[in-house]
Formats: sequence, structure tokens, C-alpha cells
Amino acid sequence: MADPKSLGNFTAQDAPTYESLLQCMRCGFCLPTCPTFALTGRERSSPRGRVALARAVAEAKLPFTEAIKEEAFFCLDCRACSTACPSGVNPGEVMEICRSQVHQQQSLPKWQESFRNFILQKMLPDPGRLESSMLPARIYQKLGIQWLVRNSRILKLGPRWFEKAEGMLPELHTPLRQRIPELNLAKGEKRGRVGFFLGCVMTLMYAEVSRQTVRVLSHQGFDVITPKLQKCCGAPHLTEGDRETTRQLAAHNLDLFLELDVDAIVTDCAGCSAALKEYEEILHERREIDKLAKFRSLVKDVSEFLVEWGLRTEQLQPVNRSVTYHDPCHLCHAQGISKQPRELLKAIPGVEFREMNESSWCCGSAATFSLKFTAESQNILDRKLNNVQNTGADILITANPGCHLQLAWGLREAGMPQPVMHLMELLGQATPE
Amino acid sequence: MTTKPLIDQLCRQLGKNNVLWLPEDLLVLGYDSTPGLHATPDVVVYPTDSEQVKAVVKIACDHNIPITPRGSGTGLSGGSIPINGGIVICTNKMNKILEIDEENLTATCQAGVVTLDLFNAVAEKGLFYPPDPGSQKISTLAGNVMEDAGGLRGLKYGVTRDYVMALKCVLPDGSLLATGGKSVKDVAGYAFKDLLIGSEGTLGIITEITVKLIPPPQDKRTFLAYFDDIRSAGKAVSQIIAAKIIPSTMEIMDKATINCVEDYVKIGLPRQMAALLLIEVDGHPAVVAEEAEGVERILMQVGAADVLMAKNPEHAAELTAARRTALSALARVSPTTLLEDATVPRSMLADTFALIELLTEKYQLKVGTFGHAGDGNLHPTVLCDERDEDEMQRAHAFYDELYEQVLAWGGTVSGEHGIGIAKKDYLARQIGPAGVAVMKRIKQAFDPAGLLNPGKIFADGQE
Repeated sequence: MADPKSLGNFTAQDAPTYESLLQCMRCGFCLPTCPTFALTGRERSSPRGRVALARAVAEAKLPFTEAIKEEAFFCLDCRACSTACPSGVNPGEVMEICRSQVHQQQSLPKWQESFRNFILQKMLPDPGRLESSMLPARIYQKLGIQWLVRNSRILKLGPRWFEKAEGMLPELHTPLRQRIPELNLAKGEKRGRVGFFLGCVMTLMYAEVSRQTVRVLSHQGFDVITPKLQKCCGAPHLTEGDRETTRQLAAHNLDLFLELDVDAIVTDCAGCSAALKEYEEILHERREIDKLAKFRSLVKDVSEFLVEWGLRTEQLQPVNRSVTYHDPCHLCHAQGISKQPRELLKAIPGVEFREMNESSWCCGSAATFSLKFTAESQNILDRKLNNVQNTGADILITANPGCHLQLAWGLREAGMPQPVMHLMELLGQATPE
Repeated sequence: MTTKPLIDQLCRQLGKNNVLWLPEDLLVLGYDSTPGLHATPDVVVYPTDSEQVKAVVKIACDHNIPITPRGSGTGLSGGSIPINGGIVICTNKMNKILEIDEENLTATCQAGVVTLDLFNAVAEKGLFYPPDPGSQKISTLAGNVMEDAGGLRGLKYGVTRDYVMALKCVLPDGSLLATGGKSVKDVAGYAFKDLLIGSEGTLGIITEITVKLIPPPQDKRTFLAYFDDIRSAGKAVSQIIAAKIIPSTMEIMDKATINCVEDYVKIGLPRQMAALLLIEVDGHPAVVAEEAEGVERILMQVGAADVLMAKNPEHAAELTAARRTALSALARVSPTTLLEDATVPRSMLADTFALIELLTEKYQLKVGTFGHAGDGNLHPTVLCDERDEDEMQRAHAFYDELYEQVLAWGGTVSGEHGIGIAKKDYLARQIGPAGVAVMKRIKQAFDPAGLLNPGKIFADGQE
């Protein structure tokens, strides 16, 4: 029987609010900004269409059907529509919530359910397990098996997503969490203390990048504290519709970082900072308002943080390269941060900044989208690569590991010469030892 | 004919990829931007050329199935809502710009080309397509033609109608009609082209459009002026025109709208002001300089509280963008946004604002008003909640009383949104029984079976 507290054909737990759906006035301003609508031209794959579907479910005009499930996961959650929407609707968030409805309303085959729960509830929340799981991959690279496999076309036999996943693996180093001291002291005149939030993908796949971030922060005059007990930010769980595990992780991280007494909580992963900034909403029933507000005010993406405090440029060494910049969706659309990374790039001596067309158009990575919808993701990626190519820049800069993986893979597959670098890697190059 | 064989037949003609019939697809193709209106079609098709449109119309004609054309669904009077079900024909896949003719200064496009895409394509060749409806980033040209869309540049440059040179359309019996051409003059027979423009998809389905292009203005100057009371703003508008200056843009926003826009874009609009005017003069640099001086002088004379001139093109664009987001900024305030486009002779502008203020008070509503002051075209927008029946009734009473006076002043019930479903009663009041009867006879001549976009403009059986 329908729960009296539930909204139409949504279950009561983790349903969108009716107000958030009613707010859409169907003006259509979101349509030209939506990568999936550009791909299919199908209204139901547009933000306006998706919100209308959710509203129909809320009004019990439509059951929670397979098609809505498809749309919930086909949405890139790139939030470009939120930027475009004048009436303040967040279709990406509505779809994220619908993903959690999918798991409540439709059961997966047993093995898929167990696999999903294992990854989301056992692996991701446990940094130790996560790190050991990457060990085989590191050995695989070290022994040169990767070279053999990549050159033997053996991967063409497996599913398409597997080949892509393998192809995306960057050169792996020992996870940073194990190596990094809990405290890195400020260099030069000390300006403050920051807590460093180490993203899972950053520490596992881009340990070298985050090492540079910490180095840059300390060179900029900040003590950097990296608590070893921190856990995944919970973004993957939101994306996959497991909001309960997100709440548990969020509560853990919030308590841990609030105890540090720092001027800011900084991260170099756009996906993490976007999720951390949503803790206020995610935990609104579990933590006091002032604690949530305090935490929210402390969380900063590293580029946002550095611009706010002002970059010390006196000692920077020139990097004589032309660069272009890809806006990670979770930075520019989810957090409205697009000026700051450009400001930092332009502040590095020697760097020639070239703006690309559609810099804030998604790269098609979008968490697991690139593996679930390989063809569609490729299509979105090609549009991006074309825009990169037209700049003729030496280096493609971005600021999020998901984009980084996708773009590096795409450039390599397309035979394009540009390396992809995190903004902090470039700043690291300019920062003397 | 039941739906299944109809779908099969359409799939054979158009290919399976161009036909949609799942409930989730149908549900999202039965609305536009008009609040509260929704209907579900039986099937939706995406033809890729005129021949396919013809094929669809033939099938519909053979089986007596209603057809409703649709562009991007940004209409504000319900013109593309399939109230009797049937087939919705989406023009979005007919999105090729076929030709930009630099000798004749024309562009020829398929029906579903997006307005801004055309603007950009001709701008690349140093040409200018002026009509700029608020939804230009996504609205289609055929939709613009069918609703005779206006925009911010109407005062000096006119509206969509003034740029249409030729149309190709499929008539409800499946025959093809081509009307107009690239010739500047054309008086051969009835002006079908002009009849089709603004016909809201009730006479034919447009498949191809040829529009006139003009050279772009070489220079422009943008002003923002603030006023302590709305009457001085109205006076500024009349006096600028009386001084024989025709600005390319003369937009007005009242206090409620100023505050909503400021909440949203945060560009430092003064929240205490009663109104602002956004004025743009453009053309030859010498003329622009002269007109800008005139505008500034008049603004001072009528007692504008503050006058700002855009410092550079970026600044100007920012000021214009604020006006462009007015409707949507208002929409943030409440779940439901009722938007009308009452239009009066320019000289009645200040009186109309006064009346709106009076009625807002009388009916206890939240109303933001903005619009094209130079055209006398206002958008009094009621911010309400469709779940509140009493409030909705008051809102309708508000518009009823407003339109009565607008008509008494010689105005019109729609400046640029069209009649669609939403304003059928108002139209009848404006043009009277004789007017409606003639319109119905015209409709009859084009569409005797009444299959094309039924239930729009005038109610069936309304005399």
C-alpha cells in the first residue's frame, strides 16, 4: 500500500520535494545547455523533460517506470542546467534523488545488487581496503603486463567498458594517504592552517597531483593537515543513489574536520568539494545547523581558496607553455567556480592562456557514465577534443580527476599531442622546491 | 484508426527513429511554457524534410487525425499543445540553414532552425537578423513565424513578420504551398505569407522560411536610467520618441522585477527604485552620438534619479542580460508564473502601470511588470501558486479587469505571445463576433476538416 507520507508514486524515503519540481516553468532555457539533449534531441532526455517526468510521478500520473530509471542514470549530473535555469531548479539533483528511488523501487539481479553494495558500502568507505585493491593494478603496470596487454588487442575481446576502464588507468604511484605526513609546515611567512581533504581517486590514481597541491599550499604559507582517518566524501554513493551511506560518510568527515581548528578545508578534487559543500543539506537531520554552516563556510576548492587569499607570485618560476582550460562541471556548474582557475593560470609567469569554445560543456566522464554509456560518452568527448584542438594549446588543464581520466584517455586515443595536467600540477611546476 | 497501425504507418514513412510513442515521451511533448496547460498526444513525429511532413499530413488527413506542430515548446499561449491528442509534428530535426544569399540579403532555413543559430550564422557573414525573442537560444524560426514573435528590438527593427520574405508550407490536405520570394516587391494575389505569419499553426505547417537580412548597426550606446516614480519613466519614453529618436531598445522594469533580477544576477541594481529603463540607440556612429546625447538630455529633463551609460560592450551586454532574465528571475519567487502581454498605445504606458498597481492592490497579488516600453508591450506577471485556488481566481480577475481597460484604450490582448488556448476569450472581446466569424471562414478555407491545431485562437463553435 502507498505510504501516506509519500509523494505520489515516489517512496517516502529520499524523494524529491514537490516544490523543487513545481518550480520549473518549462521555459526551456536549459535545453541548449544539456549534453544528453544535444545528443538525442529527445525531450525526455532534457532537464525540462526529466523534471516533468518526476513531476508526473509525484502527481501519480505516471508510475516510476523503466524509462524514468533510464533517464535518472542517463543524466550526466553535470549541472549545466542549474547554471542556465533562472528559476532555481536543480534537475541534476532531482535525477540523483531518482537514482536512489530506483534502488528502492526496482530490485537488481542478486549478483549485481551484492556487487554494488560491496563497492559502495564495503570498499569506498574504507580507505585501507580501497588502497589494497589498487595493488594488483600497480603490480600489473610495474611488471610491464600493461604494455603487453595494450599492444596485443586482447582487450578487444572483453566488454567495451572494460577496455575503456583499462585504457583510462593513469600511471599509478603508492597512494598518497599512506605516504603523506599528517602535518606539512608552511614555508615562508605563515598565513594560516588548512585541512586537506584527499579525494579517493586523487590519492589512488593521481597521488602525484595531490602531492603537488600540498606542496603548493605549504609554499603559499599554509600549514597543511591531512587527517589519516578521513573517508570517501560520499559523492559516488549520491551518484549511484545510495544516500544513506553518503550520510554516514558525511557525518564522519564533518566531525573529523571540524575538530581540526583550521581556516579552511581544501581539496583539489572538484567532485569532492561539490559533495562536501552539500553536506549542509545531506546532514540537515543529523547535525546541528551551526555546525553544518561552519563546515560549509570552511570548504573550498583549492583554486577558490588560493584566489581568496591571494596567490603569492614573487617566487614562482616561469612555465613557458600555452594552456587551455576545461571547466569541470562540478566546479563551474555545481559550485560556480570558473573565474578563479583562470586567474591562477594567468598569474603563472610565462603561461599563455587560450580560452576554448564551450569550455564548460561536459567532457562525458560524469562518474561512471563514461563506462555505462561508452558510445554516448565518446560522442560528448569528441566535441570537447575538437574544441581543445582548435586552441592549439600545448597543455590541457583541468581540475577534477574524473575529467582528467576521460580527457587523457581521449587525447591519447585521438593521437593528439597535448598532455592533461591538473591546475595544481602546473602551479607545482612553477613552485620552487 | 487505432494507435498501433498509425504508428506502423508513420514508422514506414519516416523511419522508426523519427517516431515516438512511449508514454514518457508523449508526456513531455504535450506542454510548452504556458503554466497549467498540458495534453497528451497519441504519437509524435520528427520529419526531416518537407516530403516527410507531407506524408504525415496525408496520413492524418486520410484517417481524420488532428495534427499539432511544435518547435522547442517555448510558447507562452499554449499554441503547440495537442488538446485533442493526435499527432504532434516536431520540427527540430529540420534544422538546416539552406542558404545565406549575400546578393539578395536573405537567408533560407528549414523550419526547425534555432533563432540564435541563424543570428550567429549570418553575423559571421557580417549580416544581421534582428528579431530576438526572449527564448532565442532555443526557439525555432517556424515557431517565431507562427506566433509572430517579437523581442527587445521591436521598436526600431520590427518583429518576425517584418523579416519574412517567403514561406513554404504543407496545407492540411497535404498539398504544398509556396508563397513570397526573394523579390522585395510582390503584390501577386492575396498575401498568403502575411496570413500565415502569426496563424499559430492553424492554417498550414511551415517547412521552409526565407528571411530578410540587413547590415548590422556599426555602433551602439546603452543606457540604464532609474526612476523614483513610474510616471516619469513613462514620460521619458514618450518624450524620447517625440524628439524623433527611435531607440533600438527601450525596455522597462518595475520595482518588483528589479529586485528579483538583482537577487538572481547581482549586478548592483538599486532596489529602492520604482522603475528602470534600458535604452539602446544604434546605427551610424555620428547618429548614435547625436541620439545618445538627446536621450541623456531627456532623461535628465524628466527627472530620472540616475542615468548610467555602459562603459564597454561587455558592460552593455551585462545590462541587457539582466532585462533578458526578467521573466525567469520573477519565476524564482513562486512556483507558478502567469505571464501576459497586454499592449497599449505608447502614450498610455504610464496609465497602464498605474492601473496594474491599483489592481495588484485590489486583488492582493504579487505582480512584477516588465516589458517593451517603446512598443507599449507590457508583461504584467502574477507570481502565484497553482495549488492555491483562491489566489488563482484573483489572478484571473486581475487580468480580466486589466484587459477590459487595455481594450478600451485601443490596445491589444496580445503583443507577441499569440492567442493559443490561453486567450481565446480575450480575442473574442477584442475583435467582436464579426471578426471571429471572418477568422473562422479563413480557417475553413484552409482546413475544412479542422484537423490542423484544433482548439486554438477561437473556440470551436464560438460565433
